[in-house]
Amino acid sequence: MNRLMPRLSSRVAVALALSAVAPVVTTPAFAGDADLIAAGKYIATASDCVACHTAPGGEIMAGGLAIETPIGPIMSTNITPSKENGIGKYTLQQFDTALRKGVRADGKHLYPAMPYTAYALLSDDDVAALYAYFMNGVTSVETRPAETRLPFPFNLRFSMAAWNLLFLDNGPFKSDAAHDGEWNRGAYLVRGPAHCGTCHTPRNLFMAEKISSEMSGGDVGLWHAPNITSDANSGVGGWSVEELVAYMRDGHAMGKSQAAGPMAEAVDNSLRFLTPGDLRAIAVYVKTVPPVHDTADTQPVFAWGSPSDDLAGVRGVALPLDRNSMTGPQLYDAYCATCHQAQGQGSFDGGLPSLLHNTALGRANTNNLVIVMLEGLHRQPGVLMPGFAKELSDTQIAALASYLIENFGNPAAKVTVGQVAELRAGPAKSALVTVARTVLALGALVVIGFVAWLLRRRKTTARTA
Amino acid sequence: MADALSADFVVVGSGIIGSLVARKLALAGASVIILEAGPRVTRGELVARFRNSPRRSDWMSPYPPAAWAPHPVYQPEPNNYLMQAGPYPYAAEYIRQVGGTTWHWAAHAWRNLPNDFRVKSLYDVGVDWPMTYEDLEPFYQEAEEIMGVSGAPNTGSPRKRPFPMEPVAEPYAMRRLRERLASDYQVVSNTTARNSRPYDGRPACCGNNSCQPICPIDAQYHGGLAAEAAEGAGARLLPNANVYKLEHEEKGRIAAALYYDPDKASHRVAGKTFIVAANGIESPRLLLVSASDKFPKGLANSSDMVGRNLMDHPSTSLTFDADEDVWLGRGPQSPSSINTMRDGAFRSQHSPYRLDFTNISRVDGATKSLIAAGIYGSELEKRLRFSAAREMNVKNVLEVLPDPEHRITLSSEKDAMGIPKPEAHYAIADYTRRGHERSQQDFRRIAELMGGTNLRFSKDGDFANNQHICGTLSMGSDPKTSVCDQWGRAHDHENLFLASTGVLPTSATCNSTENGLAVALRAVAHMLGQHNTSTAAGEAKT
Amino acid sequence: MEQVVDQPNAARRLLLFGLVSAYTASLIPWALAQEVTEADTAPFVALSAILAGRQSLDSVQALRLYKALVADDPGFPAAAKALLDTIEQRRIDPMQLQKTLDDEKSPLKLVPWRIMTAWYMGIVGDGAKARCLAFETALNAQAVADVLKPPTYAYGAYGSWTRKPT
Repeated sequence: MNRLMPRLSSRVAVALALSAVAPVVTTPAFAGDADLIAAGKYIATASDCVACHTAPGGEIMAGGLAIETPIGPIMSTNITPSKENGIGKYTLQQFDTALRKGVRADGKHLYPAMPYTAYALLSDDDVAALYAYFMNGVTSVETRPAETRLPFPFNLRFSMAAWNLLFLDNGPFKSDAAHDGEWNRGAYLVRGPAHCGTCHTPRNLFMAEKISSEMSGGDVGLWHAPNITSDANSGVGGWSVEELVAYMRDGHAMGKSQAAGPMAEAVDNSLRFLTPGDLRAIAVYVKTVPPVHDTADTQPVFAWGSPSDDLAGVRGVALPLDRNSMTGPQLYDAYCATCHQAQGQGSFDGGLPSLLHNTALGRANTNNLVIVMLEGLHRQPGVLMPGFAKELSDTQIAALASYLIENFGNPAAKVTVGQVAELRAGPAKSALVTVARTVLALGALVVIGFVAWLLRRRKTTARTA
Repeated sequence: MADALSADFVVVGSGIIGSLVARKLALAGASVIILEAGPRVTRGELVARFRNSPRRSDWMSPYPPAAWAPHPVYQPEPNNYLMQAGPYPYAAEYIRQVGGTTWHWAAHAWRNLPNDFRVKSLYDVGVDWPMTYEDLEPFYQEAEEIMGVSGAPNTGSPRKRPFPMEPVAEPYAMRRLRERLASDYQVVSNTTARNSRPYDGRPACCGNNSCQPICPIDAQYHGGLAAEAAEGAGARLLPNANVYKLEHEEKGRIAAALYYDPDKASHRVAGKTFIVAANGIESPRLLLVSASDKFPKGLANSSDMVGRNLMDHPSTSLTFDADEDVWLGRGPQSPSSINTMRDGAFRSQHSPYRLDFTNISRVDGATKSLIAAGIYGSELEKRLRFSAAREMNVKNVLEVLPDPEHRITLSSEKDAMGIPKPEAHYAIADYTRRGHERSQQDFRRIAELMGGTNLRFSKDGDFANNQHICGTLSMGSDPKTSVCDQWGRAHDHENLFLASTGVLPTSATCNSTENGLAVALRAVAHMLGQHNTSTAAGEAKT
Repeated sequence: MEQVVDQPNAARRLLLFGLVSAYTASLIPWALAQEVTEADTAPFVALSAILAGRQSLDSVQALRLYKALVADDPGFPAAAKALLDTIEQRRIDPMQLQKTLDDEKSPLKLVPWRIMTAWYMGIVGDGAKARCLAFETALNAQAVADVLKPPTYAYGAYGSWTRKPT
């Protein structure tokens, strides 16, 4: 043991020493530099750094992804170890300050498009591992994305200090002795690196997460990040741990739901690469998040629907000349039944999902359903539901969605033509980073308007709350 | 504002070739107008029409002809649009609508074999092509990358770069064929424009088993996607624009295309270059109906070769019951084939052929036969399941040699727009019949290896047609014996190009689409070289 | 009218079996006997059951097909009744029926074909008058639904067709 110790990272040493009381750090044991780098890569994956810091088709971690906000694009930076263009000159301390405090090496504040409020919970060891990975495990790229140039007053990065004072917690995650190691590991991942709350926790006036309503669902752009509290009807109380794990690993849990839009990206880039143990820990933790119930959910959102079809009335009937007059069954027949099958039951093996017992049709909020109908669903590896934006009008989408909900989902939910038009026009195609980070950034920017006088008054209240 | 109906390039026909030609021209910055005789139709409507059709085995039933731009249909009654002069009927099927006939194909996207380009030199049959396989190779690749093609690596057509994707997963029934025939035959994946992974925004195949008449999920490439891509590239597509005449200048340059809208109002579209891409029947028909005092035999026809040398791929087949359950109908319709008889010294004696295995569900066909045979009661379902599980079918795909007497001419009858209908003069030559005879031993051996019983050969003397219309616009080096040169340029008109499977001077043994498309893409590369020069010259003058 | 009856109903059974002898009754699935609700469709349903040889037939479908067959041929109800009587009186086995009718050049010889095409293909009528009344619920699709999907319906996720069908 003594001979081995010096070769172990300090992180692992701490883990070994404290495993009884601080079981948070149960990432597979790594030894030596290569393993420290591997550990860092793993945390970087769990943290989904690549989502923002890699442009589509661009070099890994070289930045250049423009995160559109109503006040202008925030450009993700090169975080490869390039000394000129990246973070190669950062010391561990500077790296840590950027990651957990949102302040760059030059002292300037980051916009909270960078989710440092979540990363603040990272353990010292994970920060060290991340540092090792970014310095030694990422290929240096000598390109420099354009600087972010927001208009006045949003270009005053120092005003972020105010927001940080209000909403940035201090210190890394602390284990809760009332729970076991698995739970604590899950809590750490969910609140820290995986920053699930960025989307799933609703936000307060200043666009900071409302911890009292943790995971009860949030609107991210036009998408709705659903309630994933332990509530049996509104949340995931009715899901087994195994189903939650399958969902995060495969993007699909049979008889429950499938990931689309921003969540599909989170699965693609991050969750599916986590160890089975970590996915399980996340699931275990999520299932203990205090239930938040929506009275509209009179039964579990995944439990609606039974096999049915109205095809008999459609067979042999010519389509109306005005395609906007096509009935729900006619639209279903032409555009959905092919994959989801005549009675909405999905394929033999479930590879093409059932529309019955599917949260996509069970929630009161129907935005996700409509966006998927318009834009389709894309997930790695090789999952592609085509979108119908080009083929179907707003009227047709609304008629079809209403038919789907009525037959296979929660009939109390509604889809209107106006809603479809709005979603079609809106940033439905927004990448995860756009929708999720924009909200955070906007929240910060709202604060800027209040900086001068609000800061001092609120500081005390916020701290004591 | 009145339409300025003129463009650098006017393309007649929005099928897979016309549209991809238009796309390539538009991407290069040219202005392009595509004139399509038929209407726009969406995939979802076609799927619905198929399911609501009382004739599900009639793959044309989801594609009823437009009154103003008819195409041949044969059920429930022949519409007598493509007139038959005999002696053997040429019952071609094609589709006049935006996207053309590949809405409805098995997506076979084969390259010819290198020797197919030199059959006259090698075997003293047919004619040599005015280009080599090597000339065409990069354009095969281009076509394959656009369409998303995959296939087995060992079918005799060498390639410089790999297929853009892996072959489509092999259906269980085809696996059993491959395994059980291995002693005598190599059964390989067909080369198809069908996705084995998401490609270009389209999903991977989900085994809908309705490649014909319609892939309901766009997992296979088709002309509708090509037309969409052409429009996306900036080409302007006018549907319901039935071109009835090409107008020429005094010296023979084409000046305009005249088209009828559905109300028979005439419109004129001027252009610098005209590309006729209206398939192997409608294209010669248009050239012939455009006859004038100066060109009394029709345009591009000083050789009298327009419409002649009509070729296709006739097929005969064997159906049998295997000695194990294989359940055709799971996966794509046409997944596997045997390619060993596509070339050889025997080509001087008889037609070469591919042997193609169907994977089309037997359920509808078996039901009809059983009911017609009076099988009722509980026995019916039992026998239906037996047939659905056991029936297999192999067909040959035979080469036809060019023969000037096999041809498309103008009929004395006219269509609803008053345009003369096309008329087919066709026969099955002995060369092809001998190929059919040779293939019978393969049929028997295949059945034997599958433990086949109840062998049902297709009716003697009956040849099914495969809708691979070739030869009617044949390209060649000699203006006396061909319609156009290797670039598709009509020998008689410097600004008239032909882009169609009709330009293929021999039919070889594989489906014509990819060959016609590659030849057309090569022609566009040539046109663009010329166009850029002439545009530059034109600009210098102004 | 078109409801599916949940409970055995003595009156309905009586209605159906009133039409048939013990011989034909033996050819008709018990479950079906519970579904006959209309006196005028009863011969058609009984005949359908004999010809189709199925353990059950959908009553809603039965009515749709019946209406379509009658619309095509107002003489259909009488023909169906006559054919049922023939089978009844002469105790004709379903497998011998068509041959018997053909041999005798019976005016009823097309009736079984029509009924079976309706149930198994989902098609009523001939040539240009043919129309589709059922596709995925046609009995030929149902008969193999454990292994095959009707064409156009996806078999499953990519590659699912490589497995041995069971």
